[in-house]
Amino acid sequence: MEKASHLSVIVDLSPTQWHLSAQPSNPYPLSIQSFLSQLLAFLNTHVAAKHENTLAVYGALPGKSVLLYSSSDPAPENAPASDANAFTPFKLVDATVVDRIMQEFEAVSEAEEEAPCSLVSALAKALCYINRITHPSTSAGPEDPNELPDPRILILSVSPDLSSSYIPIMNCIFSAQKLKVTIDVCKVYGPETVFLQQAAHLTEGSYIHLERRDALLQYLVMSFLAPPSVRGVLAVPRQERIDFRAACFCHKNIVDIGFVCSVCLSIFCQPVPVCSTCRTKFPIKTLQRLNASRPPGPPRQATPQTSPAKPSTNGHRGFGPELNGRP
Amino acid sequence: MPSAQPPSPEASIAQNSPHVLLPFLQSQSQNALTRLYQRPSSCLSIFRLLAPLSRQLVMNLLWLDSPVLAGTMAAWVVPDGKKLYDEALNTLTRLHILQSSGAKLALNPTFKASMRQAITCSGTTGSFGVPAQRDDRRDAPSVETLDGYAVQRWETILHYMVSSGQGQYPTKPTQGVLYLLQRSGLMASYHGSTLQITSSGFQFLLYSPHDQLWDLLLQYLHMVEERQMDLVEVLSFFFMLSTMELGREYSTEPLSETQKAMLEDLRDYGLVWQRKASSKRFSPTRLATTLTSVSPSLPTAGGSRNPGSAPGASSVANSTGINTNDHGFIVLETNYRVYAYTDNPLQIAVLNLFITLKYRFPNLVVGMLTRESVRRALGNGISAEQVISYLTAHAHPQMRKNNPLLPVTVQDQVRLWELERNRLKSDDGFLYKDFATQADYEYVLAYAKELDVVLWENTSKRCFFGTLDGHTNVRGFIERRTGGGM
Repeated sequence: MEKASHLSVIVDLSPTQWHLSAQPSNPYPLSIQSFLSQLLAFLNTHVAAKHENTLAVYGALPGKSVLLYSSSDPAPENAPASDANAFTPFKLVDATVVDRIMQEFEAVSEAEEEAPCSLVSALAKALCYINRITHPSTSAGPEDPNELPDPRILILSVSPDLSSSYIPIMNCIFSAQKLKVTIDVCKVYGPETVFLQQAAHLTEGSYIHLERRDALLQYLVMSFLAPPSVRGVLAVPRQERIDFRAACFCHKNIVDIGFVCSVCLSIFCQPVPVCSTCRTKFPIKTLQRLNASRPPGPPRQATPQTSPAKPSTNGHRGFGPELNGRP
Repeated sequence: MPSAQPPSPEASIAQNSPHVLLPFLQSQSQNALTRLYQRPSSCLSIFRLLAPLSRQLVMNLLWLDSPVLAGTMAAWVVPDGKKLYDEALNTLTRLHILQSSGAKLALNPTFKASMRQAITCSGTTGSFGVPAQRDDRRDAPSVETLDGYAVQRWETILHYMVSSGQGQYPTKPTQGVLYLLQRSGLMASYHGSTLQITSSGFQFLLYSPHDQLWDLLLQYLHMVEERQMDLVEVLSFFFMLSTMELGREYSTEPLSETQKAMLEDLRDYGLVWQRKASSKRFSPTRLATTLTSVSPSLPTAGGSRNPGSAPGASSVANSTGINTNDHGFIVLETNYRVYAYTDNPLQIAVLNLFITLKYRFPNLVVGMLTRESVRRALGNGISAEQVISYLTAHAHPQMRKNNPLLPVTVQDQVRLWELERNRLKSDDGFLYKDFATQADYEYVLAYAKELDVVLWENTSKRCFFGTLDGHTNVRGFIERRTGGGM
């Protein structure tokens, strides 16, 4: 029997970026209003596809993330009156999402607008939600594995990469891999983001940078509507080139060549005497050799280093951001 | 690498057989279907019944204004999925959802317009049911009331069927239901006596409630013509019910005469609840609102057995019964013993079809699968596979830890018992014997073999047995030969 499917959508609601996106100077200006109406049609389509499909919508706002809609919530008291022309679940999704977004936008004050969007916290919440629905409490007895929804996350991003969120994003990706959650990314506006490319690649999702932004809905339907079980037969576009660069742990810069701690695999943009994560001290000689062999890059050298780290030719994979909680 | 993927994606999707209603819809005229597609609720419900790939194709085309080249569309699917894609196209074309003009394909304009209205919640067709005005004197029926009503109606029908085989007659369903059961061949009356369950009726009892319901509704649709009802109105009423909300009251005012007449039938089946037959409002029950979902079911007896026990189930799902009948109650041991944790007379009666009941406790029935009991079931027309699939579908959660779920010994034995009955095979036919010469015999035999009508032959006795169909030919051949020889 065909499985139900769960979709968590994370909407990047950065007011600044949406303002920029709506500027008529863009090749295809897209305002938040038109974006939302296309998004709602997409959400309705997901709900329409199957009776048991579930949906959760998260908003990433400056400095915080909120759950805008979840199909497991009980219907609100002031539910919209049933309408003879509308399918009630659609009506409920649309009204709830729009109301909540309006509330949140009104609550955003001038000062907050400049705070970076907390995409990561929305992602983490979405993963927690999926974990909860795929692993129901043990008291309910062993569930039939065929009944579990087929979970995935769709990120609609407009903000650029936030390098300080590198470690949390990587942690989320690892959790997603473990939960077998597919992360899809649709870059609606703004430059390519390295981290989200990696998120989609590592969880076998697709990353799409929107070229014709007026055709958002068509992109969404053709690439992201099908649940993972159906995607096997669909020719879904995939990212061919993925930027695998990592961000260093010390300055949160995205680095081409980094230095990796030989004990805990933390990444640094320059040789350091003591690993900031695991407190390992490196021998002075190695450090001097590494400093000598560094390419003459932009002079960001701090005081001369006195301990070594292992050079890493390519800074991707093999690092262990999970370890950053170690004493 | 295709070979490296353990379960091929195609296999995992292809195993879903199409919904029983689709072949019926495909047999309807384009005119009728187009009329049906004028209502957004019908489009939405039919869309839900489609296979996953067909749904994806419909959605891909929905927002396009111009037709798409067939070649472009084929490129949406990877080469491995070609077979599925062709099937999907075939289904959609026969449903007249997809129309081709030359080398280009597009959605049926009526379907496209209605589907767009459904998705964007626009339009003024009122096809999702007009809610009744709030009644200040009386509250709308609660979900529990509706569930209780649906279960009671449905179980009355099934219980009547199952007990008719044993000569007991509990509460009779209404005349309309009895007529439907008779027309659908689930029950028959022999020599003018009372109705008796037939072998297809026994098989029917082991289906899931969803399949049972659609089985009956399909029969209802087949009867529509002779009752001079409009098929499109009947279908669109079913689809409207399936998109309605459980626990809400709807007004009967906007319904057509046909649909008002249907209310009475649907009340008898437990799909619709009305306070009085003359009431101006009606509420759909869970049976109706889950018509187009794939894994719905009847609430277990007692209604709200485990509300909210599935944290993953959404409020939409909760309000439509995803958590109802999903936990089984049967434990089957390798020694053929069956423990059924139930006190539901219907479930016990169904079990009694193929097990020998031994003890009965307030919440537990114990029985044995024996040769006699299984042979009795087989005699009633139930197949071994149906017995096994019933036990699988209703297995207790504890059983679900086993792999395979049912003990292999028991499964094999049930199948062997079925094979026992198939040791003799009877065929009607003719025996050809007393051939004058061996050459004559061989000549005729060779001819009969060419026609593939020989069932048995014995060369030493110069005789063979041919089927009924082949007789005219063989006889003609012999006559021509003897005639020619004279």
